Amino acid sequence: MELPLLDRVQEDGDVFHLTTATSKASSIATLDDAPASAVSFCGVSTQGRVPPAPGPGEQYRFHFDMTKCIGCKCCIVACNEQNGNPAEILWRRVGEIEGGVYPQTHRHYLSMGCNHCLEPTCLTGCPVDAFTKDDVTGIVRHSADACIGCQYCTWNCSYGVPQYNPERGVVGKCDMCYGRLERGQEPACAAACPEEAIRIEVVNVAEWRENYQASANSPGMPSADDSISTTRITLPAKMHADVSKVDLSQLCPEQAHWPLIVMTVLTQLSVGAFTSIWILQASGVQSHRTAALVALLVAMLALTASTLHLGRPIHAARALKMWRRSWLSREVLLFTLFALAASAYSASLWLGVRGAGWLGALTAILGICGVGVSAKLYLVPGRPAWNSPLTIAEFWSTAALLGACGANILTHAAADARYAVLWGFALALMTAGLKLVRLARSRVHELHSSWQLLMMVFSNHLLLRFLLPVVGLVLLPLGDLAWIRIAVALFMIAGEFVGRYLFFVTVVPTNMASGYLAQEAA
Amino acid sequence: MKVARWLARKSGLDIRSSKYSYSDDPVLGFTSSRKHADHWVNSTCGYCSVGCGMQLGVKDGHVVSVRGNPDHPVNVGKLCPKGLAEHYAIEAEGRAKYPLLRKNGSLTRVSWNEAFDTMVEQFRAVQKKYGRESLGVISTGQLVTEEFYALGKLVQLGLGTRNYDGNTTLCMSTAVAGYKRSFGSDGPPGAYEDLEHADLILLIGANVAENHPILCTRLEENKGKTLIVVDPRVTKTAMMADIYLPVKPRSDLALINAMLRIVIDEELYDKNFVAAHTTGYEELCLSLAPYTLGFAAQITGLDPELIRKTALLYANAKAAFIGWTMGVNHSTKGTETVNAINNLALITGNIGRRGASPFSITGQCNAMGTREAGFASGIPGYRKFDNEMDRAEIARLWNVPVERIPGQRGLAYPDIIEGAVAGKIRALWVIGTNPLVSFPNIDVLKHALENLDFLVVQDGFHPTPTTELADLVLPAAIWGEKEGTYTNSERRVSKVNAAVRPPGESRADFDIFLAVAERLGCKDELFPGWNEPYDAFEEWRRVSAGRLCDYSGMTYEQLEECGGIQWPHPQGTDLTASASRRLYSDGIFETEDGRARLLPTQWAPFPEQPSSEFPLILNTGRTVEHWHTRTKTGAISILQRMSPRAWLEMNPKDARQLDLQAHDHVEVISPRGRVSRVELRVTEIVGPGQVFLPFHFAETNANQITQSAFDPISREPNYKQCSVRVERSSSSPT
Repeated sequence: MELPLLDRVQEDGDVFHLTTATSKASSIATLDDAPASAVSFCGVSTQGRVPPAPGPGEQYRFHFDMTKCIGCKCCIVACNEQNGNPAEILWRRVGEIEGGVYPQTHRHYLSMGCNHCLEPTCLTGCPVDAFTKDDVTGIVRHSADACIGCQYCTWNCSYGVPQYNPERGVVGKCDMCYGRLERGQEPACAAACPEEAIRIEVVNVAEWRENYQASANSPGMPSADDSISTTRITLPAKMHADVSKVDLSQLCPEQAHWPLIVMTVLTQLSVGAFTSIWILQASGVQSHRTAALVALLVAMLALTASTLHLGRPIHAARALKMWRRSWLSREVLLFTLFALAASAYSASLWLGVRGAGWLGALTAILGICGVGVSAKLYLVPGRPAWNSPLTIAEFWSTAALLGACGANILTHAAADARYAVLWGFALALMTAGLKLVRLARSRVHELHSSWQLLMMVFSNHLLLRFLLPVVGLVLLPLGDLAWIRIAVALFMIAGEFVGRYLFFVTVVPTNMASGYLAQEAA
Repeated sequence: MKVARWLARKSGLDIRSSKYSYSDDPVLGFTSSRKHADHWVNSTCGYCSVGCGMQLGVKDGHVVSVRGNPDHPVNVGKLCPKGLAEHYAIEAEGRAKYPLLRKNGSLTRVSWNEAFDTMVEQFRAVQKKYGRESLGVISTGQLVTEEFYALGKLVQLGLGTRNYDGNTTLCMSTAVAGYKRSFGSDGPPGAYEDLEHADLILLIGANVAENHPILCTRLEENKGKTLIVVDPRVTKTAMMADIYLPVKPRSDLALINAMLRIVIDEELYDKNFVAAHTTGYEELCLSLAPYTLGFAAQITGLDPELIRKTALLYANAKAAFIGWTMGVNHSTKGTETVNAINNLALITGNIGRRGASPFSITGQCNAMGTREAGFASGIPGYRKFDNEMDRAEIARLWNVPVERIPGQRGLAYPDIIEGAVAGKIRALWVIGTNPLVSFPNIDVLKHALENLDFLVVQDGFHPTPTTELADLVLPAAIWGEKEGTYTNSERRVSKVNAAVRPPGESRADFDIFLAVAERLGCKDELFPGWNEPYDAFEEWRRVSAGRLCDYSGMTYEQLEECGGIQWPHPQGTDLTASASRRLYSDGIFETEDGRARLLPTQWAPFPEQPSSEFPLILNTGRTVEHWHTRTKTGAISILQRMSPRAWLEMNPKDARQLDLQAHDHVEVISPRGRVSRVELRVTEIVGPGQVFLPFHFAETNANQITQSAFDPISREPNYKQCSVRVERSSSSPT
């Protein structure tokens, strides 16, 4: 009997044959020479499976054999059992990649913990030096005690490896089961794998730095260039060129980070306001001690809000520690100096200290630099939508627009102030517009997804982001009334808040492939 | 104090360091301190039939961790993700803790006494009014063998109804029927070890990478093999294959028959084996006439040369292994397909040798146990209802008059349900299964259950979709809380032990059966002196002695020592307990003449062909993170995190035609009903014209749309193919 429908299957014809890749020869220590250990994990003897400790110029790394992985996810469960993590946190993840045309379909799995990179971006960004790259093993370790829960590492790692644990207020990550390796025991994931797709190897660091591109990259993974991942991946010998992440069509908004929205917009408001106050004072128009006090309060509110972002606000001061290396430390440092200068400047205005104009200038300069540095910390390869000078322009334009609104209020809508608002508005709009153009035109998956999020999930927010300042602009000519001038400012502030909200929720981080279904129920 | 603790947490002073601390454990090594146990209890995994040895780590009366038993011959310490998280099932939310009786419409907590009294009273009343056989019993493959043995006696001799079957009819009855027809008895002939020694492995409708991942370890170890996977869907297992045969749905029988014909035409079969150990060769040859390469190519959609190559590879292999699971069994042609597989193995002599076996990979952890010791589709010990000697023997062993042993089996599972629809079955006892999710064409089942005068559901969990409809809920102990034995796919009997006490007032199924017998007044007759599973095991050893599934040489102590023994293990055997065993190594089969039967089979298209109204073929199946109806795994957060909900796989060509996008929510509609708001996965995993839906999820239940079509011999449902159409769900969420 004829099965007409099934004939359509035939369109693409034949069967395909898969040949297993022979693993590439590499300068790795043979596991058979390893010291014996009687201890087992999940019942599996790890005897002879842990290579000897790396020598000088060497480190441990993972080897993942994609030709062996069957996507069973034993490694994930074993990792969570090993580390006592709740189900929301997965230090090891398994992603799916797929390509080809039925029945020559190729589907493969990627299992990944931490890649223990040669240039770990989690480490370089950390403001409190909670990460260390172990001298002997090369394992990138994280200290929960040192961590303040700022989560900057979760943005810096292009693989999404460090994960924040809200129960603890700190991040955590795969440490290759450092404690087990130290005792000659195999890491949990490797021990649990029924196909022996995950193993520990020793790698020569200098050699790897030379030739990592050949075997550190894989479809479904961010480029190993970002941080020089050390994980060696054995790919199937034949793989369709179109094999890619199965989650490409997933649209998942990121967290809003409300304390950061409040912190960035309000610091920019305060910096803009102080700059206006100083310009007005310097140009001899008048001195605004009440306005300075309000702007100072706003700055204090912003800085207080920022600590609420931390998992461990009580240790906020530690964030200053790594100012030589971390942009986050530098931001904290500059805003602290700005707050001190602004306090001194405000005090001078209240006390009527003459010749304190330089304090105003200092406040403005520190503030403007602070806003720039604040923006700079968002320029990370792991967050492509942020990783552009437009982010700096966006932050500065917010300060300019809101500062101009402040001047508009203080000068009773003087013509210059109105023009300033107009210019600020134009600047803010242009930045926002350019960002949209950048996202819309990009072929980079993460940027395109940001664009789709804006168009499909957050289209109403986006509309509001433009509508609010337009309303403010329409009211601008009616600025003779004090409450109208305040309303203009409030509309502009509201517009910037919506814009900043979108900034956070529509960024699509680079990451390894995930499963097809989003983790949260749709 | 509370405020202080809250402040310490929120401020970041307290980062719960002790909860997240690590330390050395003599068993686990350096691990999270919370996972360290005071003592370890050996047991066997309670999910699938691979039968992995496990150890349960107990601390202060709680199972805090599990690990694979490194000394167990099946898994040598490895476990799948379900096994690795199995301890969470014990304290999962929704455990049934107290007997509940429906009073004034709602389930109300009652004492065990009241529960048993009501149950027996209601069963007796129904049986008095409508006849003894108006009572039906549906059990499971999840109990221990000792419980199946006790339950069979209780139902057939105590309650006096033959209408008893297990949910094993939903998965394994086809293999059982096929084995019985070909070899004269049930019982997979091979051993897992064969996977390591075969030079050719043919997997038909078996996605072992998803459903039996621990068997993949053995495939991986066998470096010299050629692995051929036959499946319409590009499964994880297909990706492991050296040769993948993307057959059209339900064309496997045509493929195997064509292979048989080539092997015979090209005289590649084992003439000596056929002559010495089989009957029916001539009839088989005649029946193969239509299965030319051209015909098979048309039916299967495969290249004729490839079919021939597969046949030659199989025939020329030194040891060829055929493994199959639900792709074969879930079909109206299932039994015949199993017979065709057996034909292929027989004519090439690929049976009873190392590496060579036609091997049904079983489903549930102890489906085998109920096949051996249960009393549903046969008399315990693979005895036959229609065999007078078998009946006489069991009557003698049990010391009951032979007239009490039925001469014919009662209704099979689907027929019990149809009996309830027709009003012939008026009371039902459901044990350890969740038909509201697992039975095909669910509306028929709902109708059947509504028709009942009294429904008893005995389960470890409440509420489940099925317990919610019960008149009486009996809370049962689950895996980790009771003792007994499981038999795995390779006939290996392993010990199951209690690590903790069952929660609340729940009791082991074994205790419940004895208590019911007590109420019925038949305990002393059927279960003389029985107190614990050991007593049942000892009787079962005597009852199985001399049978194919001979347990007589096994003791609990030995099972504990070896981590499992394959039957047959007769008393006084020369073989050591841990030796690998195969059936039919001597070429003598369980038929009257000792010869295996070569049986003619005929391919036919699956019953519900696609039409213009329902143009797509629905395939159903499983995912590695979940077990069957998700009663347990759905309550385990890590498994839920990894597989939170169902999805529908559809080829991009069909999606384009239907103007559907990835992640759209769709309705899957068959002539019988619909599955609503399932997330679409546009993928080349399935071919054009086919869609795939996992069956675990009650919320998007595949059995709303599957059909009431059953294998005429095994009565197993045709879950694998029915015709559907797919539409975008009306209200898309934002």
